[in-house]
Amino acid sequence: MSYLSLSNITKQFGDTVVVDNFNLDIAKGEFVSFLGPSGCGKTTTLRMVAGFEIPTSGRITLDGADITEKAPNQRNVGMIFQSYALFPNMTVAQNIGFGLSVRKESKEMIKQRVDEMIALINLEKHANKYPYQLSGGQQQRVSLARALAIQPQVLLLDEPLSALDAKIRVSLRAEIRAIQKKLGITAIFVTHDQEEALSISDRIVVMNTGLMEQVGTPFEIYNFPQTQFVANFVGSLNTANAEVSEPANGLVNVDGVQLITASDIKSRKKGDAIRVSIRPERFSFADNQKKDNVLDCTVENITFLGAVVRIQVKIGNAKFNMDTFNNPFLELPKIGSKQQVTCSKEAVLVLDE
Amino acid sequence: MSFLSRLRRFPFWSWVWFIVGALYFILPLLATFEFSLTWDPAIPFKAYQRSFEDKDFWETFIYSNVLALATILFSILLIVPTAYWIRLRLPEARRIVEFITLMPFVVPAIILVFGMIRIYSAPFNVPFTDIQIMQPLTNFKAGTNVLIISGYMVLAMPYMYRSVDTGMRTVDIRTLTEAAQSLGANWFVIISRIILPNIRSALLSGALLTFAIVVGEVTLASFLGVDAFGPYLFLLGQHRAYEPAALSFVSFLLTWLAMGLIQLVSGGQGQAAGAH
Repeated sequence: MSYLSLSNITKQFGDTVVVDNFNLDIAKGEFVSFLGPSGCGKTTTLRMVAGFEIPTSGRITLDGADITEKAPNQRNVGMIFQSYALFPNMTVAQNIGFGLSVRKESKEMIKQRVDEMIALINLEKHANKYPYQLSGGQQQRVSLARALAIQPQVLLLDEPLSALDAKIRVSLRAEIRAIQKKLGITAIFVTHDQEEALSISDRIVVMNTGLMEQVGTPFEIYNFPQTQFVANFVGSLNTANAEVSEPANGLVNVDGVQLITASDIKSRKKGDAIRVSIRPERFSFADNQKKDNVLDCTVENITFLGAVVRIQVKIGNAKFNMDTFNNPFLELPKIGSKQQVTCSKEAVLVLDE
Repeated sequence: MSFLSRLRRFPFWSWVWFIVGALYFILPLLATFEFSLTWDPAIPFKAYQRSFEDKDFWETFIYSNVLALATILFSILLIVPTAYWIRLRLPEARRIVEFITLMPFVVPAIILVFGMIRIYSAPFNVPFTDIQIMQPLTNFKAGTNVLIISGYMVLAMPYMYRSVDTGMRTVDIRTLTEAAQSLGANWFVIISRIILPNIRSALLSGALLTFAIVVGEVTLASFLGVDAFGPYLFLLGQHRAYEPAALSFVSFLLTWLAMGLIQLVSGGQGQAAGAH
């Protein structure tokens, strides 16, 4: 049973369609991320849930009630902004208690709730400070507490970590996820950072030019991308032009090199032009174990990326990246040496454009 | 650091221009003060004493202060929601509104007051009939007060609008509004508890300028026939020598006092808004 439902949502600004026929059901307590590049419509969709934009067509229901045209202040939806949006004239405690005072709750109740929220975000010593006296990470935690204080039905997070430095970003996203799980609150998280979306979400909606490209768990999105865009946007990807050589047996030809794929290409004809995609970590140097694809290659370049070493190899005339985990005893091939790399047929993806 | 290198770092020309500018403003003021003390060498502050003993001084001064406060209050009520709405929802209207707010610089006060007298010295009738709803505004005290406050609002508009608009530019009006809305706030709460406190120093600057304009204004007050401080000073200047100098000096002191108060009140606020 869906808790928050977006049905056939379309949003146009003038002649420009920003969100096109968006359909999504979100269960209570679920953490869903909208992932996509700038201008893909993810923030507009979030703003429609918040009530800051009204859909051109379609309906939004929350816990069975139609909220499509409800004013933002009537929705009981908490929102966290990239720029924190703390009220500069109020202290941390006043910011957190603002939503409750607007709802005319008693002073005792507000104080109790504010204390609970401040404890939740571990900022007990900063309750009487003004926003400008806090770091970016602390301000965003106050913003989270402020949104949660009103006990919203849905928590909306609009790129809340983008303005923070890398270390704070990682720790705060873990904190956000832990608090969300603890409170069992339904959340929508907008981001253009794939790592953020993969690490924090129950499900990810990948969006492009106003359309939903794919909805799935982080595991599904990464390992089984359904479109070329998803495969390219999430994680690193090798892509190459190919030609179907034996549709029934899943054989394709990449620049004179035969590859076998597990993707269904039976509906294609021999000689059809396609594109194949292979994740860099799906390649490995050949050992004695039998693999579907064993390919001769020349090592062209080696790049050290910390935890991972990226090796560029040339297979036929096509260049591919291959990732291998770093360890201090790793024996790397010499640049220019002839090697054999392998990958399974499941690693060779034939995707829709 | 050697003396020579310190001398080289000293902003010589900045100080020269600062001193020239300060003298330009301070010398006439000192001259006025010095002149105001020369009436009677035996009683140095005689001009001040005589001025403060004058009943008309207190009446016109208090009346002009009340007019100034009313003008400030109604200007805030009109201009803050207007500037806020333009920033939030109608940015394309900004140029038009800015043009309108500059009109008082182009249209002199004398034109404004004649236009007001021309329109509001006639009775208010039900349209297309002779049935009178209200007598002309210029015929009774409250009506004249409404007219003069409206006129002052127009004269002060360029200063008030610009101050408020600049204040709003320093805070992220749109995001703060959306944050407040998502927490359940209505428009009244947003303006009174979020917007106004965050543009407090801008409001105080606008209020000070409005105050200065209204308290010294002569044209509107003279032609609408009200006993305000501006016409009083003007008349005094035509018939006396020392009291106008004394009162001018007092006016300067009051203005400086107001500026000091603004600095005092808005100091912490500016820091908070700036950091945001």
